[in-house]
Amino acid sequence: MRAALRRFLRRLSLAVTCIAGAVIAGLWLTPYDPAAADFLDRLSPPTAQHWAGTDHLGRDIATRLLHGGLWSLGLSLTITAFGLVTGTLIGIIAAQSGRIGDFAIMRVTDSFFAFPELVAAVAVAGIFGPSTVNLVIALMIVSWMKFTRLARTLALTTSKQDFVTQARLNGLSQARILLVHILPNILPSILVLGTNSWSRTILAISGLSFLGFGVQPPQSEWGAMLLDGKPYMQSAPHLMIFPGLTVLISVLAINLAGDRLRDLLAPQSM
Amino acid sequence: MTHALIRLTGLFVVIFGIALITFALAHFAPGDKAQAIAHARYPDAMGIPPQILIDIRAEFRLDDPFHLHFLNWFGQVLRGDFGVSYSSGERVWAIFLGSLGETVTLTITSLVFGLTGAFILASLAARYPGSIIDRAAVVIASVGAAMPGFWLALLLILAFAVHLQWLPAYGTGTAAHLVLPALTLALWVMASQTRLLRSFFLDARAQPFMETLRLRGHSESELFYRHTLRHAMAPALTMIGLDFASLMEGAIIIELTFARSGIGSLFAASVLSRDLPLVMFLVMFFAVIYVLINTSVELVQRLSDPRMSEGNGP
Repeated sequence: MRAALRRFLRRLSLAVTCIAGAVIAGLWLTPYDPAAADFLDRLSPPTAQHWAGTDHLGRDIATRLLHGGLWSLGLSLTITAFGLVTGTLIGIIAAQSGRIGDFAIMRVTDSFFAFPELVAAVAVAGIFGPSTVNLVIALMIVSWMKFTRLARTLALTTSKQDFVTQARLNGLSQARILLVHILPNILPSILVLGTNSWSRTILAISGLSFLGFGVQPPQSEWGAMLLDGKPYMQSAPHLMIFPGLTVLISVLAINLAGDRLRDLLAPQSM
Repeated sequence: MTHALIRLTGLFVVIFGIALITFALAHFAPGDKAQAIAHARYPDAMGIPPQILIDIRAEFRLDDPFHLHFLNWFGQVLRGDFGVSYSSGERVWAIFLGSLGETVTLTITSLVFGLTGAFILASLAARYPGSIIDRAAVVIASVGAAMPGFWLALLLILAFAVHLQWLPAYGTGTAAHLVLPALTLALWVMASQTRLLRSFFLDARAQPFMETLRLRGHSESELFYRHTLRHAMAPALTMIGLDFASLMEGAIIIELTFARSGIGSLFAASVLSRDLPLVMFLVMFFAVIYVLINTSVELVQRLSDPRMSEGNGP
């Protein structure tokens, strides 16, 4: 299992490197500027010059999609990484802090968990003013609870296992047990949840931007591009086809990688 | 018994926590609240005299420190008083009840069709594992989970409203207006539930007692309806409870995309106009409903499955 896992992680990092390389190469090779308007070539359908056509300002959609990838994937990865680290830490602390401490920490977590992500993000981003920074803050506030719950449950079950008792009897310090025995054992499951959370965050960012609560339209974020293209649905449907397809494919790819990771970790379940 | 007591205490603590977070959001919102209230009260006034602002600050106790202001507000909330909307001056409750119907119609319709579709697809997939229909179910579920809901909505508008012109794209009112939004949300529900139901059915089929029953000569359909279904219901119920949050998120996105009236549109409008009493009420509504649904799902499970009782459950 370890070998299969290592092989998978190697392939995954190869794939991520290839995609990141392709995006950067694409941005470097493309003759277009994502923000440069060309009023002589507006709403052009896909052609040899413009692979995904041009939008209502004559900007090259393929270039904007590549550029938007940096926004969507980068922001979502930042938010998820924040949630993963913070949430896991809080979960492990809860598992270690005795009945009352655990109860207190978990009820605070439950209180945050009760707000649906979208509701919290719309409320924060709307009240404090729609902007990329507020969007990121809003999504970070609701990013950590899933990780806390999972990390706590896993840490509790792991710390009851024989090898941890053995380590404790051998006189290892609490911090060392956490670092050497508990953390490595719960990390794979946390990473599976991380891929799931990453793809959900991409959907959330594009959705919020589409509704006007996130990244604002002159930027080439995918949801914002869809918002931009909505009025031209009838005359130039490619304005909304390509950004949506890009979101779909990215999320699908991350989900499939996550499924594969989960199957490798639990080979007995389908 | 002690377990129930701890759960109940926990529930109250969580609801208090929800109220505290909601209140903090509104408390730290930018802008002068006294001005907002004054404008709602005297919509025709050109300028607000300073004395009125001072009176309002006193009346709503806006100058109280955070904790006093919060406790005062929480006391009113416990008595069911959520105050009046800044923008219309109507009671928050009345505004909410006025929009609730549309959202309930949308979510119930989509749930019924979505769950029925998921159930049929997942049971066929689990009856014939590895068949074409099983693979189709997996593909539908994977693509559906990755599909942005608003994009699916736009595609359906493009196909059925713009090109075929069978149905209206935007607005509320007739039954025809309900079709596209409900279809979008139903497809969404179907995609997410098919995957889960399929794996629960497969798990149930793999139980050892199923093989015994099969050897005793029970038919496949009898096995499925009498045993697989019953075995898969408990985990399915939990997931549907947990997925209630994404159902509400879906309803918000779809109401806004189709310009339908309802709780989602009301929420977005109240946020954009910084109508804080309405925002606070709706945010609390979404959170408390979620907590209550999950607590009742857990309760039903404990009652129906003796293995889960008294601390054996997750």
